[in-house]
Amino acid sequence: MSGPSAGEATPDVTVVVVVYNDAERLPTAVRSVLDQTLDSVEVLIVDDHSPDDSYAVARRLAEAHPGRVRALQLPENSGSGGGPRNAGIEAARGRYLMFLDSDDRLDRHACMSMLDAAEETGADLVSARVVRVHVDKRNKITEWHPWLYETSRVLDSVLEEPDLVVWDTLSTNKCYRRDFLLGKELRYPTGVFYEDLLFAAEAWLAAERIAIIPNIVYYWNVATRTDRPSVTNRRHEIGNLLDRMEIHRRIDAVFARYGSHELKVRKDIKFLKHDLVLHLRDLPHRDTDYRERFADAVGAYLEQLEPEAYEAAGRMRAVCALLTARHDWDNLLPAADSLMNVDRVPAVPVHKVTVPLHVEGDRVYWCAEHLDTERGRELLDVTELGFQTRTLPKLWPGNRLTKLGVEGERIVFGGSVVNTLGRIPRDAKLSAVLEIRPRRGLLRGRGVEVPVDVLRHTGEAVEWEAGVELGRRVHPVGVVDKVWDVRLRLKVGDQKVVTGLTMGDVSLDGVRVPVLPLTGPISADRFQAVGGPRGELEIWLDQESAAARRTHEFVHDFVHSPRGEATVRRAVAARGLAHKLTGPKSKAKVYANVFMKLPVRQGTVVFESHMGKQYSDSPKYIYEEMRRAGVKFEAIWSYSGKPDGFPKDAKLVKRGSWEYYRALAQAEFWIDNQGFPRDVLKRPETTYIQTWHGSALKQMGDDQPAEKRRTQAQRAATRRMLDRFDYFVVRSRHDVDTLVRAFNLRAEVLPVGYPRNDALVDGGAALAEQLAALRTRLGLADGRRVLLYAPTFRQDGADVADFEMPFDLDRFGREFGSEWVLLVRTHYLNEFTVPPGAADFVRNVSNIHDITQLLLLADGLVTDYSSVMFDYALLDRPMFFYAYDFDAYTRQERGAYFDLREHAPGPFVEDEEGLFAALRGFDASRSEYADARGAFVKRFGEYDTGTAARAVVERFFGGKGTTGGAR
Amino acid sequence: MKTTHARDIFIVCNSVDELGGLTRWADHIARLFVASGHRVELIGITPATTRAGYRDVPYRTRTLYTEHPPPGWRPRRPWQHANVKARIRQHRRDTGMRAAADQLSEVFRAAPSDAVIIVAQVWAMEWVALADTAGLPVVAMSHESYEASRASSRYGRVKRYYSRADRLLLLTHEDADAWAVDHMTNVGYMPNPLPLVVDEPADGTEKTVVSLGRLSYEKGYDLLLEAWADVAPKHPDWTLRLHGTGDEEAALRAQAETLGIAGSVDFAGQTSDIEGALKKASVFALASRAEGFPLSLLEAMACGLPCVAFDCAPGVREIIRDGTDGLLAVTGNTRQFADQLDRLLGDPELRATLGARARKDAERFSPDAVLARWEHVFQLVHR
Repeated sequence: MSGPSAGEATPDVTVVVVVYNDAERLPTAVRSVLDQTLDSVEVLIVDDHSPDDSYAVARRLAEAHPGRVRALQLPENSGSGGGPRNAGIEAARGRYLMFLDSDDRLDRHACMSMLDAAEETGADLVSARVVRVHVDKRNKITEWHPWLYETSRVLDSVLEEPDLVVWDTLSTNKCYRRDFLLGKELRYPTGVFYEDLLFAAEAWLAAERIAIIPNIVYYWNVATRTDRPSVTNRRHEIGNLLDRMEIHRRIDAVFARYGSHELKVRKDIKFLKHDLVLHLRDLPHRDTDYRERFADAVGAYLEQLEPEAYEAAGRMRAVCALLTARHDWDNLLPAADSLMNVDRVPAVPVHKVTVPLHVEGDRVYWCAEHLDTERGRELLDVTELGFQTRTLPKLWPGNRLTKLGVEGERIVFGGSVVNTLGRIPRDAKLSAVLEIRPRRGLLRGRGVEVPVDVLRHTGEAVEWEAGVELGRRVHPVGVVDKVWDVRLRLKVGDQKVVTGLTMGDVSLDGVRVPVLPLTGPISADRFQAVGGPRGELEIWLDQESAAARRTHEFVHDFVHSPRGEATVRRAVAARGLAHKLTGPKSKAKVYANVFMKLPVRQGTVVFESHMGKQYSDSPKYIYEEMRRAGVKFEAIWSYSGKPDGFPKDAKLVKRGSWEYYRALAQAEFWIDNQGFPRDVLKRPETTYIQTWHGSALKQMGDDQPAEKRRTQAQRAATRRMLDRFDYFVVRSRHDVDTLVRAFNLRAEVLPVGYPRNDALVDGGAALAEQLAALRTRLGLADGRRVLLYAPTFRQDGADVADFEMPFDLDRFGREFGSEWVLLVRTHYLNEFTVPPGAADFVRNVSNIHDITQLLLLADGLVTDYSSVMFDYALLDRPMFFYAYDFDAYTRQERGAYFDLREHAPGPFVEDEEGLFAALRGFDASRSEYADARGAFVKRFGEYDTGTAARAVVERFFGGKGTTGGAR
Repeated sequence: MKTTHARDIFIVCNSVDELGGLTRWADHIARLFVASGHRVELIGITPATTRAGYRDVPYRTRTLYTEHPPPGWRPRRPWQHANVKARIRQHRRDTGMRAAADQLSEVFRAAPSDAVIIVAQVWAMEWVALADTAGLPVVAMSHESYEASRASSRYGRVKRYYSRADRLLLLTHEDADAWAVDHMTNVGYMPNPLPLVVDEPADGTEKTVVSLGRLSYEKGYDLLLEAWADVAPKHPDWTLRLHGTGDEEAALRAQAETLGIAGSVDFAGQTSDIEGALKKASVFALASRAEGFPLSLLEAMACGLPCVAFDCAPGVREIIRDGTDGLLAVTGNTRQFADQLDRLLGDPELRATLGARARKDAERFSPDAVLARWEHVFQLVHR
């Protein structure tokens, strides 16, 4: 590279490399600076008076690169990173300054990216992206708070984005204008660990211009299993903890100086979400003395947090905070366990729960203690986590390990499954097995199941004991099946619960048994109990003998060598190929090349509703009409997920399976309401009756912007899919003008109405029995009237939004709860949980397949833009249109075919007040909107005359035996 | 603008004289560099398939191959290793590549140490990567959006060949950020310069909406006609004029008939006088489904035309700030596009404000502004 050497001229950037006892890794760090694409960089090594030869190495580097590397040594050890860094600030010559630790490295382009941003924006401080490199996990990288670094931007104060100060607490991913540091007299604190947290906070706040760039600049090497843990990995030492709390207090003082309340609240939230969790994770493994000192130090700090922070941090964290402050280990340890073991996939996260919970009135508390104060009642209230709404299998009860030991070759286990909320009745029939299986999916079958020896209900818990001669009962492979999981499969009546074992403070010392793996004693020779990262018991296939250890090291080294990595890649690729062979693309190929050549089986009809998710809608009613009329045919129903609820007298095929494709290829009829997979071709001999699933308010097909902007190839694929339809069922001219036109269908239109709506026209007489059963099942037999709330499916970009009730259910309960029961039906993707306290007057009916029956049960309907309005209108019962986001929903992306505000056959309201007022006028609206409902039905349902299913069956399956249909 | 430090600049492209947007850019930027005092050599890897025929070029040119090298080959299935013919062809390709790279090395070694190599296309980078760049800094460029790269085989090659370059320049901030988030650490931003210098803006009296470009599906003229069908009845004295030719022309004419707007749509054919065509209109419309960095939009703004465009790419957002110097619509939402046109057509004052602002904002991409950015990059990579 050319350019002026950094010798005499002022370098653009000085990188201060701080070293203490790290002679070995220092040259790599320095090399990463010398290799920068920016030449005008000076390296300033500051040695904190290390006892090893770090300083000698530093001096040699300086001699080898005169003018580019300088070495300094502090006269005596300063004890933490602050001293040497401050010395670096004093001695640096560059206009800009960066810091690098001796065990990390800079990206090759770091200095240039930083300098470019600094000069272009005139920033005091440039901050950039960091990745953590897990050096003991094949250099796997994880991003460090990447959401802060997605766009480049300039801020005049960090208060514009407080999250930066709160979450990005590093001082090494930043480039500081040296004059800025000197002018503001910014220095690291000395004599205390975590000095960089305070320095970073002060720098963020002092900077009057900040540039953020998404470029990676810093590789932070993280070693979890090294013999020489770096500071941040030694959380368990109480001294560190005290230092940490001290730094937190000082940072709070800095925040107070800048007078930002929001900053304090956000930092408090972070403390609860992040810092507290880090400490709690270690707590089960610490002695009482540590716990006491921990609670003293942290408890006092927790008391000062802002109340909003508890609100925002989540219920379990609030519980943990309170119990920490109260030194209540018995309740805290299970709470910490729940905090770490949580399933965040559902809208309301599901926490594991290892305590019985305490119920008072309609509130649920974590424990019965500490409820004598307002604060205790507030922080321990876990009602909103919804434990009380879950059945036993969905509750995830904890299973606490109470005993673990070795008797001869037997490992003996004892534990206790908590009887949370009394979900395990005393008189329930109990049975259980203990299973121990390799974690790796392919090898699961190599595990073992043993019945438990003891199983008894003690009221608060179910206690069990089991033992297994593990070394004899299983035959591990060795090397590939290191980690084994231990689980209890408990059966309570016909409910099944599977639980891992929470270790608590049971000792794992000496819990090991010999074993001979298939690959021989040189791969492993014993099973050993180990604590997992989330506090659950694991069993590891381990090695004791020197030979086994050597093999292990050899395998470890090989896997991490370039050749080994290539081998692993190939193995992974081979597995990928296996997956591919059974994937949808391969199936589509076999479908086209093999199945399509098989003869069509006369009389077979494949039914599907909503991509197999339900047994419902018009396909169901056509199917039932065919059965009723005695048509001779072979029925095949497609299902996805579980086959529960599908008819027992039909052949069931899982959507996407080989049988499914074969059934489609050979069927004489396809009957569906949405669409068979797009890569499935339809042969001319097959007749496809598309019943569709609702009339349109919002634009469909080619009328939608989303369709218009797609590429030619994508649109051609859609075209091919739609061109498969032979017949298309409609219920009015409106459908022809909207759906048929927008999809540009070549199918023959069947103006017979929707088979699913036949029951609505005759008021449900034919379904009386099923309706009565459903009424009982939903607990609707107390004479209260039934109101159905069925909003349309909502999606926010690609993310499915959590369903939030758009009106206050408590208020609904107060006003109408004694006269009405509210059925809530959301789209199956928008999960909804009945809030506690509302169980009396709210039912979640989202999982009931057949909406027709719900419509028949409901005395009134509240909806927004769902096509259910077109169907329900047939019943001529009161309807309410609660369009709280009308403009946003219909005006922005997709337009509507008509103005609902004008044509709604019922009160059209846009806020909660309006809704409640309209509901109060329920009885009046019956007559007031009668004409409007009539007009609405005439316009959108003129063909719905109660004979749709019969018309379809007569047309295609008339004469009771099917031969060839109508084509 | 005159440079304070005249340098040797090598611009490496797939070919130097190919008909297409990239070489149009290369020709334009090379002329600008020369005019500001630099010495420029345009290096093409292969000869052009369709020659653009740039005349009176003030820069040197060089092409490494005399004919197209055989395409690259890599066995994807084990049995393909036995394909002797392909192996021989690949061997010949490798030898040819090394010879071509040697030519490059020679050129670079002979250059003074303050020279700069600009690689404008990632395919060409494969040769530069093989060559000895003699310590000269390499500035790589990708002239398409991140999304477009992502959808093509260029994505892998950008990651592989461009990560070592001293800088990787993208057309927009948004694309640069997207690559940075995807772990390219050397990214920066460099817009294309405005191809026109317009002394006098359009006078804004013509009741014409104009659009320029190939009549292809991607350019979305079918959507423009749909939107126009909403607008035309409300503004019967206005005309939509389309400049360009392409495979969709017949279909578009038929669509205009069907929509009943044939009378107000003028298929005016291709034009070489872009400035003239723009100045005969008062509003510019860009209904593309996909774009990189649409220069026609910039040209229209430079002529002081208020623009309506689909927000289909970072390049569009980089050029237009919605409501300030132009109007945007969600891609594919023809009704919204029509609403925006309707707003402009019905409001001469809005046309004047947006147009004036557009003309001013297009200055960000003026040759001098872009050259200044380049000077900064040259200086940066030599520090």
